[in-house]
Amino acid sequence: MFVNLAVQLVVLWALWTAVFAESGKELVGEWDLTGILSYGVMVFLTGRVVRGGDLQMAVASEIYDGSLSRYLLYPLHYGVAKYAQQLGNVFPNILQSIVMAACILPFMGSSSSVDLHVTGLLMCMPSLILAHLLFYIMGLLPQLVAFWADNVWSLSVLMRFITMLLGGATIPLSLFPEWSQGALAILPFRYLFEFPTLVILGKVSVNDWLTGLLTCAVWCVVMSLLVIPVWRRGNLRYTGVGI
Amino acid sequence: MIKVQNLRKVFRVHKKPPGLSASLKSLFRRDWIEKVAVEGADFTVEEGEIVGLIGANGAGKTTLVKMLSGIIHPSAGEARVLGYNPWEKQDAFRRQISLIMGQKAQLWWDLPGADCFQLLREIYQIPQQQFDHQLNRLTQLLNVGEELNIQIRRLSLGERMKMELIAALLHSPRVVYLDEPTIGLDITTQKAVRDFLLSYRKEESPAMILTSHYMEDIERLCERIIIIREGELIYDGSLRKVIEQYAPYKRLTLHLQNQTLDESSKEIFSKMGEKVKIQSDQVSIQVPRTNVTEVAAELLRRFKIHDLSIDEPEISDTIEILMGGKDFRQE
Repeated sequence: MFVNLAVQLVVLWALWTAVFAESGKELVGEWDLTGILSYGVMVFLTGRVVRGGDLQMAVASEIYDGSLSRYLLYPLHYGVAKYAQQLGNVFPNILQSIVMAACILPFMGSSSSVDLHVTGLLMCMPSLILAHLLFYIMGLLPQLVAFWADNVWSLSVLMRFITMLLGGATIPLSLFPEWSQGALAILPFRYLFEFPTLVILGKVSVNDWLTGLLTCAVWCVVMSLLVIPVWRRGNLRYTGVGI
Repeated sequence: MIKVQNLRKVFRVHKKPPGLSASLKSLFRRDWIEKVAVEGADFTVEEGEIVGLIGANGAGKTTLVKMLSGIIHPSAGEARVLGYNPWEKQDAFRRQISLIMGQKAQLWWDLPGADCFQLLREIYQIPQQQFDHQLNRLTQLLNVGEELNIQIRRLSLGERMKMELIAALLHSPRVVYLDEPTIGLDITTQKAVRDFLLSYRKEESPAMILTSHYMEDIERLCERIIIIREGELIYDGSLRKVIEQYAPYKRLTLHLQNQTLDESSKEIFSKMGEKVKIQSDQVSIQVPRTNVTEVAAELLRRFKIHDLSIDEPEISDTIEILMGGKDFRQE
């Protein structure tokens, strides 16, 4: 965990120092060097929470090996049960992220482009809760394809890659080309990683924060509405393994 | 409690010949075959009844149980369990049923039994007092009180199965499906499980459907059996009657008094029945059920007999013949 963060920091520092040196500018986009490094650290830490307890291939595996059957027998909703499981697994990640933030942030230096404040921290919490839920629902979709396909691993990895890239887990989306900004603002990905990170860095106004929360909630509903028919259709095909 | 009408399940299975070229070809064009797992099943099961579902591997027993527990959807037909359509998976229905699969662990392997049961208490919303009483009763009946706090993965197969039984019955289901509950267990544990199921039936009177390859399970637990062959139900009735109906003969065994058998004696035996077996002074003959008294009297008259016994054929033999494909109904 700490090694991961250290490697991430070294890579970020080397990359962005080179970018700033090459451009000869104080700001790239709207970010100074300390600000962009803070973004890198914070998106890493919030990302750990958003992805926390990630079931990864658990749902697909349960469809493949028939373990899904026991959940179909219990008087509970499978999706809710799995989310409860994921929520239970997220707490170690939250704790680790807090410890890592406390260790690193005091040494980050001051920045003109970010404003770490307790208000940002408080505003970040509902953003993280919604992002965690949205990440879970979006992760279900490729896994439910396991009802039809013999292997969904590559689909899941592809989905994860797209999510990370378009969610701002590598660089802030404001550094993407101008023509893509409109689409990126509408798509659900930015609400997973970039939005909670910008909130915590004090770069989102209260109005934008409320709009972002609402948009994220709408995406949760939209994704759920996509998952439900796929789940129902998949259930019709489920064999419970073997005849 | 369980009513099944013309239930049918067809699986569409992808067929792929071996080899790389076939694998590549199947990316573009796939051959499918339809496998009929259950064909027009019709039966009912009443409260307190244990019905044995018997059939060879792949006959469709587990598919039938999966449909009745709501895990899979049928291709056609209807079923009502406790008045519910099983595959609608209503919570009120799922609170009243249970499925135990001997070949598939359903408990959480990393947790001790006690924690698994607490989790199930929450899932089924069992009142604490009822839960404590039921858990205490079941652990005593199965004698696993000491193993409750041990991780499931560290228990023996027999202990695990006992834990599975407790987990399945904690919420006092009114319908219980048992899919090979004694598979892989030693004789003592098999007997313990059977005794437990009988005492549970006596106290709670649930409707039970049991599938098993062990005839002793069937003989000890079921008064009624359903025989399924290649998806079709070929017999539904009393376990005892299966012999009368499908094995219309008895076996006479004679111990002769120091008598050597000549050719004419052998001819007499052959005329009186079928499948004559002669081993030194012991002769056994298969005789039609209606002629048994007459044949026995005739043999006693003709030969000096030390001992004579009349036996029913083995149930397992009759069922094996039925499952194997001989259709007595046409005879």
